[in-house]
Amino acid sequence: MPAGMMELGKKSTGLRPRTNPVPSEIRTNGLFRKGSTRFFRSPLGSAAWLVLVIGVCLWAKIPVFSQPHVAGYERFHADEASVEGGAILFSELGCASCHGGSDMIVPRQGPALTNLSSRVDRDWVRSFLKTPESGRKGSTMPSLVHGLSDEEIDGVVDYLGSLGKGLKFRAERHANAERGSALYHEKGCIACHEPTDDFRGPRARGDQFESEFAIAHPELTKKTSLAALHHFLMQPSAFRPDGRMPHFALEKQEAMDIAAHLMDFQPSDPREAVTLKPWPKADASSIELGKAVVQKQNCAACHSLPGIEASTPFPLDATERATGCLSREKEEGVPFYPLSEGQRASLLLFLSREDRSSHDELSFAAMNCVACHERDGRGGPSPETDPYFVGMESLGDSGRIPPPLTGVGHKLLPDAMKHVFTGLEGSRVRSYLKTQMPVYGQHSEVLTKWLQEEDSRVETHSDPLDAEPSGDSIGAGQKLLGIHGGVNCITCHQWDQKDSLGIPALDISRLDQRLRYDWFHEYLLNPASYRPGTLMPPLWPGGNSTVPDVLEGNAEKQIGAIWAFIAKGEGIPEGFPDRSGGQFELVPTDQPIIQRTFFNQTGTKAILVGFPGKVHLAYDGAKGKPSLIWRGGFFDAYDTWFTRAAPFGDPLGEDTRLFEGETGERRFLGYRLDREGNPTFLLRVGDQKLEDHFEVSDGILKRVLRWDSGEEPAVGHPKGVEKTIRRKDGLLEVEYRWK
Amino acid sequence: MEMKFRIIVLAGILGLGLAAGQEPQVSYQVQHLLTASSPSDSRSKEWKPGDGLTLEVSGMAWMGKELALSIRKGEVWIVENPLAENPEDLKFRLFASGLHEPLGLAVDGDDLLVSQRAEITRLQDSDGDGVADAYLTECDGWNVSGNYHAYSYGPERDGEGNLWVTLNLGMGQLADNSIGWRGWGGIIGGDGRFQPKAMGMRSPSGLGANLDGDMFYTDQQGTWIPASPVYHLRPGVFFGNQESLGTLENPNAPFQLSQVPKPNQPYPKALRSVKEFVPPAVWLPYNKLGRSTTDIEVIPEGEAFGPFGGQLLVGEFTNSAIQRVFLEKVDGEYQGACFPFLDGFPAAVVRLSFGPDGSLFVGMTNRGWSSLGNRSYGLSRVTYQGEAPFAIQEMKARPTGFELLFTHPIDPESVKSDSGLSMTNFTYEYSSSYGGEEIDTQANAIRNRTLSEDGKTLVLEIEGLRELYVHELHLDGIRSRSGESLSQPRAYYTLNRIPKP
Repeated sequence: MPAGMMELGKKSTGLRPRTNPVPSEIRTNGLFRKGSTRFFRSPLGSAAWLVLVIGVCLWAKIPVFSQPHVAGYERFHADEASVEGGAILFSELGCASCHGGSDMIVPRQGPALTNLSSRVDRDWVRSFLKTPESGRKGSTMPSLVHGLSDEEIDGVVDYLGSLGKGLKFRAERHANAERGSALYHEKGCIACHEPTDDFRGPRARGDQFESEFAIAHPELTKKTSLAALHHFLMQPSAFRPDGRMPHFALEKQEAMDIAAHLMDFQPSDPREAVTLKPWPKADASSIELGKAVVQKQNCAACHSLPGIEASTPFPLDATERATGCLSREKEEGVPFYPLSEGQRASLLLFLSREDRSSHDELSFAAMNCVACHERDGRGGPSPETDPYFVGMESLGDSGRIPPPLTGVGHKLLPDAMKHVFTGLEGSRVRSYLKTQMPVYGQHSEVLTKWLQEEDSRVETHSDPLDAEPSGDSIGAGQKLLGIHGGVNCITCHQWDQKDSLGIPALDISRLDQRLRYDWFHEYLLNPASYRPGTLMPPLWPGGNSTVPDVLEGNAEKQIGAIWAFIAKGEGIPEGFPDRSGGQFELVPTDQPIIQRTFFNQTGTKAILVGFPGKVHLAYDGAKGKPSLIWRGGFFDAYDTWFTRAAPFGDPLGEDTRLFEGETGERRFLGYRLDREGNPTFLLRVGDQKLEDHFEVSDGILKRVLRWDSGEEPAVGHPKGVEKTIRRKDGLLEVEYRWK
Repeated sequence: MEMKFRIIVLAGILGLGLAAGQEPQVSYQVQHLLTASSPSDSRSKEWKPGDGLTLEVSGMAWMGKELALSIRKGEVWIVENPLAENPEDLKFRLFASGLHEPLGLAVDGDDLLVSQRAEITRLQDSDGDGVADAYLTECDGWNVSGNYHAYSYGPERDGEGNLWVTLNLGMGQLADNSIGWRGWGGIIGGDGRFQPKAMGMRSPSGLGANLDGDMFYTDQQGTWIPASPVYHLRPGVFFGNQESLGTLENPNAPFQLSQVPKPNQPYPKALRSVKEFVPPAVWLPYNKLGRSTTDIEVIPEGEAFGPFGGQLLVGEFTNSAIQRVFLEKVDGEYQGACFPFLDGFPAAVVRLSFGPDGSLFVGMTNRGWSSLGNRSYGLSRVTYQGEAPFAIQEMKARPTGFELLFTHPIDPESVKSDSGLSMTNFTYEYSSSYGGEEIDTQANAIRNRTLSEDGKTLVLEIEGLRELYVHELHLDGIRSRSGESLSQPRAYYTLNRIPKP
C-alpha cells in the first residue's frame, strides 16, 4: 500500500519499528493523524468514511491527502508532537532555508534545476508546481504558485526550461529490467523506497510490503525518460546535493538496469525507449516574467539558480500560531504545505523554543541513516524492510544487516571513517553485504568530524603499539590468531587474501588501520554487548583466557599481542593449510582409492575411483552410471575434505572422456570391493540385477557387466577411446584404451 | 602408520560449589583421550593423505566393546580398546574411507549404518578382516543440490526400531530447499527410500531417543529459530521453519499444514494459530545456555552416571559444553527444564555416546565454525566419581508452580531469602530473522515455598505462570545443609502446558 494512503486510522500494529515502541494511548490522541479513528467512528464520521474511501479509491494513483513525507519524522516522531520532530521538519521541509536556524550536520537543499528540459517532462513540471504532492506523493516542496496567473506559472516553467545548455545522453545498448529489479531490491533502495509488487526475494514478497516510512517515487514514466533516469542514477549527488537521495557508486550497467526496472522498460535495447517530448521554444518575455516570479518567491533559498541570490534569511516570530507557512489554508504569497496536524503541532513546539539548536542524533533521522543502521538502540531496518536486507546467510544477521553505529566514532579511526564516506576502494570491508553503503563524498569531512567528536571518550586501554611490542608478544599474537593452540580467529575470519577455514567473516589482517585499539579490546572481551546476536563468541569469557599457556593466560596481554601481530607481524596466523606441493592430491599406489564428492560433469553423488594404473573413473551414484574417465593425476581432495563451502571438484589429470549412451532408469545399490580394492557397482534395472565392475591393468580400463536375468542392458561407453567388447551369457567384457 | 596423541589433562571439572576451607569435590572426571595439536594434524605442512588421523568426530556407535567413530573428512575408525585406562594405549583401526561428509553412525547387527550427503550407507565387513568391503545404499531419496549446508544426519533408532534421519536446510549458493526433503525428518522406509514424517527443521544436527524410545532432535538458532530448541520428533508435525514450505507441493508430502503461521508475532500466538505447529519440549535460551545445540544422548538408567538416569544430555558447539535436560509429560506432551552441566571441552562438542561401562564419550570437531574450545578436534571421556554434585535433579511443573528435587538436602533457611530465589518468564518472536531476542519478559512472584521433611523437595507456588513461556529460575541463595551453593544455580523450564489440578 502506498505510504500516503495509510492515514485512515489504520492500525499501526507491527508497522512501527521494534526499537521505538509507542504506547497505544498516545496513538488515540485526537491531535494526530492516527487519532482520526475516533471521528470516523461517529455517525457523521461513518458517512465521511464512505466518501473518503470512495474518494481514495477513485484517486488510487494520486491520493487527495498527502502531507509532506520525511522518513525520519514519520518513523520516530509522527505519533506525538515533539520538539525533535519539529526540528527534523524545520530542516527537511526547507523552513530553515528561508528562516535560518537549523543545525543539521548536512543542510537541506533542493534539487538542481538546470537542464530540466532534457530530464523532465514539461507538463509534469507544470503540474508539480501547481500541486507538488500530485507530482510526487509526500513531496516536501511547498506550493508556491497559488494565486499566480496561468501566464505567470507558464513563465516559471519557461524560465526553468531555459536553464542549462541541455544534456546529451550516451546511447546505451543494453537494459535488463529483471536484473534491475534484483539490484533495486537488494542494494538498499528498499531501505527508503517501496519494493515492487511482483518482487519475490528469498525472504520477502513485494506485495506483502506495508510501510508508513517508505518514500514514494513520482510516477516516473510521466516525469522522465529512461536515459535521463539512467543519467541521474549514475550521479545522484549532481542533482541532489544534500545527500537525502544519496549517491551510489553504481556501475553504468547497474544504473541502466535499475532505471529500466523503475520505468518498467522490458525490452533489452534502451534505444527503443520513449524519449521526452521536446519542450516548445519559449518566448523571451515569458522567460523574463518567470524569472521575476522565481525571484519574488525566493526559490533560490532552496535551489541553486544561476544569477539569482536567495533573500537574507528572515527570522520567525515565535508567537505566530498556525499562520503563514503553517496555515491550513493557502495564503497568497506564502508557501503552502499540506501539513498533518501532528506535523504542524511539532513545528509549533519547535518554534516556541528559544533555543532552537537540535540534538545531534536528529541528523541521523533527517538523513535517514537509521534506515539501515541502528545507533544507541534506535533505527536499523524496520520489520517491513528487514527481509530485503540480504547477504551471507551463514554469518547470521551480521552477514546481511549493515553494522550498528553506536559509538562508531570511538570504533573507527578518522581516516578510515572518511574513506567509508568517500567510498575509497577497500574501505568497505563487508563485501558479503548486498546492501551498498552510499557515498557522501562532499559531506565526508563534516560527517567524520561530527561523529568523531560526538563519540569521543576517555580511552581505558592503551594501544600496545604505543610502546614497541616485543617479538615474543608479536609471536604470541600470531599463535593466538591461529588454530594451533590459539583462539582460532582464522576459523571464521579471512586473513588478507586467504579464506577463513569456516564461515567467511571479514578480513582481520588490517584492523589496525581501521579501528581504535580501545574499542577492539572491549569488543573482544564481549562481542555481544556491541552486537547482540553476533556469531562471534566471547573468546575471553568473563575476561578469562581459554588459552592458559600463552602469555600466562593473561587476557589483556593476549588481546594486545593479537593487535601487535596484526599491526607489526610478518607472516600469517598458524593453521592455514599449505596447498603447495599437491599435498591433498590422492595418489593411488598399491590399491585403488575411492572418494565420494561433488564433482563437475557427474553431480552431487559422485564416486571417484583412482587406480594405480593412472586411469581414473567418476561414477554417478545418483543415476547408477559411469560418467567420465581420465588419465594422469587422480584428484585433489582438499576441497572435499577441508573447504566448508564444498565446491565441486574436477579431474586432476587430462584426456577426460564422457560416457554416452547409458540410458534407462537405474537404482544404485552401492558397491563392493574385491581383495585388490577394485569396485563392483551394484544396480537394479526393473527386476534385473546388474553388476558393473572396473579395474585397470597396463593402462587399460577393464569393465565387466553381469546381469542375473533378462536382456542385455543398455550400456554406454566413453567417447573418443578405443573399445573392445566381448559378449558371453549374461556377461559383457569391455576394455577402454585411449587412442 | 604413525599416530601421535597428546594427553592434555586428566582433570575434574564441575567442581562443586565450595564452602570455605573445603577441598573441591569432583563428581565427574574428564579424560582427554585425543586432542588436536600433534604435528601429524592433517592441516600441518608435514601431513600427507594417509598419514595420521584427523579425528573430527561426526558420529559415534558402539560395536560391543569397540567404539566406531566417523570423521568429517569421510572415514570410519574403530577404537579397539576405548576403555583402556591409559589413553596412550588406545588402538585405532581404519574401517571405511572415501565417504562424503558422514555426520552420523549407528550399529545394525554386525554392520554400521553411516550418513553421507546423498544416502545412508550400510558398511559391511563380509570377509571378516576388520575392514569394510561393501558400501551398500541403505536409504536415499532426497535432493542433494550441491549446497554445502545441506547436511544429512542420523540414523538414530527409536523404541520401535525405526531409524530416523534428518536433513539440513541449504543456505547460500546452490541451496534449494523447496525440493524434497530439506528441513524434514523421517525414517528409512522398507524400500530403502526416505519416508518424510515431520518438517520445519533448520539445522537438525542431533537426534536421540529417551528411555521410553521416543525420538528427540535438536535444532540450532538461525533463520526462524530464535534460540536452540529440543523437539519431540514424531510424524505429522511442523517445527516452525518456513524455508522448506515448497516441499509440501511434493505429491509424496505426508501431510499439509492447515495454515501457514504468520511471522512477526509472539511465539505462543503463532503456535496457537496452527494445529500442526508444535513447541519445543525445551528451549535452551541463547547465550544463557549455549548457542548451537548438537547431539542428544539419554543417560542410562541407574546411578552409573550419577542421579540423572533417564535425562537427556545435549551437546553444545560454540561453548564446547554439555547441557542437561529433564523432561516430563503433561497432558501427554513432553516439556521440561534444562540446566548447564559440563563445560570447558577442548573443541566443539558434536557427538555424545555412553560406553558399556556407563562413562560418556564426547566427540568433538570445530570444523566450519569456531568454539571456545580452541583445538580443532578431540575425543574425551567423562566418568562419574560416585559423589553427586549439588544440583537440581528434577524440575516439574505443578498447577500453581514448580516442584524441585535436589540431589542433596537443602538448608531451610536458605530458601527464605527473596534475593536468592527468583523467577522471570519470557518468550520469543516468531520471525524469519536469524535468531531472536527474548520478548515480553515478566517477573514471577514466588508466593510460597514448601520444603519436604527430607529437605530434598522444594515446592514453589508461583504467580503469573504463562503457558508456552520459558520460566527462568535463579537459585543463587540456595545452600545445602553442609553450606554448599548449587553447582549450577540456574534452570529454564519451558512451560508449554500448566498441569491441571
